[in-house]
Amino acid sequence: MKIYVWISAAILMAVFSEMDYTYARTEDWQEIFFRSNQACRADNYQEAIEGYNLLIASGCINGHIYYNLGNAYFREGRIGHAVLNYERARLLIPRDADLNFNLRYAKDRTQDAIPESGPFINNVLFWIDSFSAGELLWCFSVLNLLFWAVMIARLFRRSEWSYYVFLILLVLWLSAGVSFGFRWHQVENDKRAVIVQAEVDVLAGPDSRDTTLFKLHEGAVVHNERQENGWYLISLPDRKRGWIPAKAAEMVKI
Amino acid sequence: MLIPSRAWAKVSVQLNLDRNQAAVTDSIKLVISVSGTRSSDSVPVIKGADDFNVTSGGTSSRFEIINGKVNSGIEYTFFLHPRKEGSFRIGPAEVIIDGRTFRSNTGELTIHKARAGIARGNLFLTAAISSPEAYIEEQLIYTLRLHRRINVSNISLELPESNQFALKKLEGPQEYQTVIGDHTYQVLELRYALIPSREGEVEIQPSRMHMTAFESSRRSQMRSFFDDPFFSAGQPRTVASESVGLTVLALPETGRPPGFTGLVGNFEIDATLEPASIKAGESATLTLRLAGQGNVNSIPDLKCPDLEYAKVYADQPVLKVETDEKGLKGLKTMKWALVGEKEGTFQVPSFSVSFFDPENRKYLTLNTSPLFLSILPGQKEQVVASAAAGDEGKEGQAKKEVREIGRDILPVHTSMDVLKRAEGYKAGRLFFTSAVILPFLVYLAAFAGVRIKRNSQRSMASIRAKKSAGRFIREYRKKGSLPDELSSAIRNYLNDRLSLNLGSLTAEEAAGILRSNGVSNETALRLCAVLKKIENAVYTGRGNDPCDTGEDIPSLIRQVEKEIR
Repeated sequence: MKIYVWISAAILMAVFSEMDYTYARTEDWQEIFFRSNQACRADNYQEAIEGYNLLIASGCINGHIYYNLGNAYFREGRIGHAVLNYERARLLIPRDADLNFNLRYAKDRTQDAIPESGPFINNVLFWIDSFSAGELLWCFSVLNLLFWAVMIARLFRRSEWSYYVFLILLVLWLSAGVSFGFRWHQVENDKRAVIVQAEVDVLAGPDSRDTTLFKLHEGAVVHNERQENGWYLISLPDRKRGWIPAKAAEMVKI
Repeated sequence: MLIPSRAWAKVSVQLNLDRNQAAVTDSIKLVISVSGTRSSDSVPVIKGADDFNVTSGGTSSRFEIINGKVNSGIEYTFFLHPRKEGSFRIGPAEVIIDGRTFRSNTGELTIHKARAGIARGNLFLTAAISSPEAYIEEQLIYTLRLHRRINVSNISLELPESNQFALKKLEGPQEYQTVIGDHTYQVLELRYALIPSREGEVEIQPSRMHMTAFESSRRSQMRSFFDDPFFSAGQPRTVASESVGLTVLALPETGRPPGFTGLVGNFEIDATLEPASIKAGESATLTLRLAGQGNVNSIPDLKCPDLEYAKVYADQPVLKVETDEKGLKGLKTMKWALVGEKEGTFQVPSFSVSFFDPENRKYLTLNTSPLFLSILPGQKEQVVASAAAGDEGKEGQAKKEVREIGRDILPVHTSMDVLKRAEGYKAGRLFFTSAVILPFLVYLAAFAGVRIKRNSQRSMASIRAKKSAGRFIREYRKKGSLPDELSSAIRNYLNDRLSLNLGSLTAEEAAGILRSNGVSNETALRLCAVLKKIENAVYTGRGNDPCDTGEDIPSLIRQVEKEIR
């Protein structure tokens, strides 16, 4: 009996110490967030950028932080980093109206006309772009709980109403599961990169002596096919391909 | 939960006969459709079927979701074999669901004497006409019956062609069984409305049916597995009906009304005016419906005369033709818009139509009842004034496209709440993992528990099987031979003995199950006969009267016990 008391006490201590740490960390984040916002208001964008980046580096992964960071970069005139952080924010808060407005505006300011294209599955599961992976996981978790609860109930009593509920939940459960699966796959295997240099030459090979095929400018969103010795092999929706130095672009994946 | 908690909230029971007239040698298909539930406490009891042998044709259940609405139901199929001629009211059928009794509608059934016919082998076609004498344009029923004792497929029909009559297909075809001589035939019945167009003697030439016939092997009397059409190629066969004579009479001259247009049959006329009161300048709709049975394609387009008090605008008449057992049925709808011009109350002229009634052999004229239209003073000037005011209002509210003067991004988000959401996102992973995997693990544990319990019940079931015969005989001696009790006791015995879980069991199914478990054909047929007698008593509502099965049931069950594997 005593052993159970000791184990319970240890778990409670661990939980409380974690809560204490979390509380302290939140206090710090609030302080940094407040100061960064104040810096933005005072047109001190470089300080704001440092503050928001510090928050992200300390584990505060939040769509609104990325959005504010994008705004700060935009005000600094760094459209590439602005687009990059807006795109990252869209992974977390895809329905935020301010974000979508600013992203559209920032893309309007870029020089390269690159048509947007997504995978075919996005046309079938048209709703998944409007939800973050976290939201879809929430939805799936709740439906999963309900679905298995009904399955367990039907093991013991098979009534007509439970059959209808089972059918409805099965459809919803599968839809949520498939949606979450695809969204998770998209987020985890996001190969998009944003050009962050004012202008970059796209070369025929991963060597600065290779032929320049075309030029890209800050803010252009490209697909990174693979990485080799500090070079990215990138491609565009119109099938143009070539190599750029890795430092010229940053991956959208968080 | 959007789904109603009580399934019987919208339960309805419908009784349908496949036809209303049959010969005493025919079988009639009866379907009892129970909608709003997928289970009932007992099989339906059919009232009014005392003069029929009733056999079960099986049960089917359905479940469908259409546009989000859930529909479910059960269909019980029975076959009625008449014992005598006469007119019968079949039904209502009574079904008990959750302790409540639901009753169906009833159906009328007329049983005629057996059709005079000579069997012409195992495949032949007959033709019959509803009356050997008819007036021009009178509607008759031309019936073709394909009698068969072999399997056929790819049937095509060649109907007689003539300029003396027209044929129009009616509902169907219908399939049923009939007995001619010593043989039972499967009958495919097709019905046509026949309308003669010329007077005199008419000979309706034979109809022909072309098909692929699959005849069973002559060497063996028993049907073999390879008699199935899937394994045999089949032979092309053509069968022809006999020709049928018809005397077509001219319509009588005496009593022919002046406006007669050639309509023959039985018709009704009805007129409505909607609305009956209008303002000058507004319109009312005058609707005339002429419906009936007969040569419906000859229903005339009636004309509405010009009116002093209203302008008349005619709509295109619409003819809707349907078919039922009695033949063609039609409804012609004619509409006129009456736009009021003069104030006052006016009588709308009545409409009349004449037709020849062949049943009573006389002409009849139908008239619509008088209708009155009230026309009130109009509001023409006021309408114009208000319309002008509306236009001004529209001009005052003319809208312009919003033009963009400058462009900029929207500001940063400053609410501290966003940081709390960040915490939730990070801390939630453990919860999500638990929420995804734990319920499945709990289900697996519950499933395993249920399986273990079921296996232990199965071993109990084998013990029950050994004691089932003794239990049945004790129950039989205690409760006697009431069909309801007996049916349930035999079903329980078979379920226990063979570890089955059948809710209902037809006599043939029971015999089949016994045969497959090693019981001899003779014993299985004896039990089948007993069950049929019990089934017949239960379905005809005599479930609580003692039933003489003509068998010593305990010794029959002991015999089954000896033979069963």
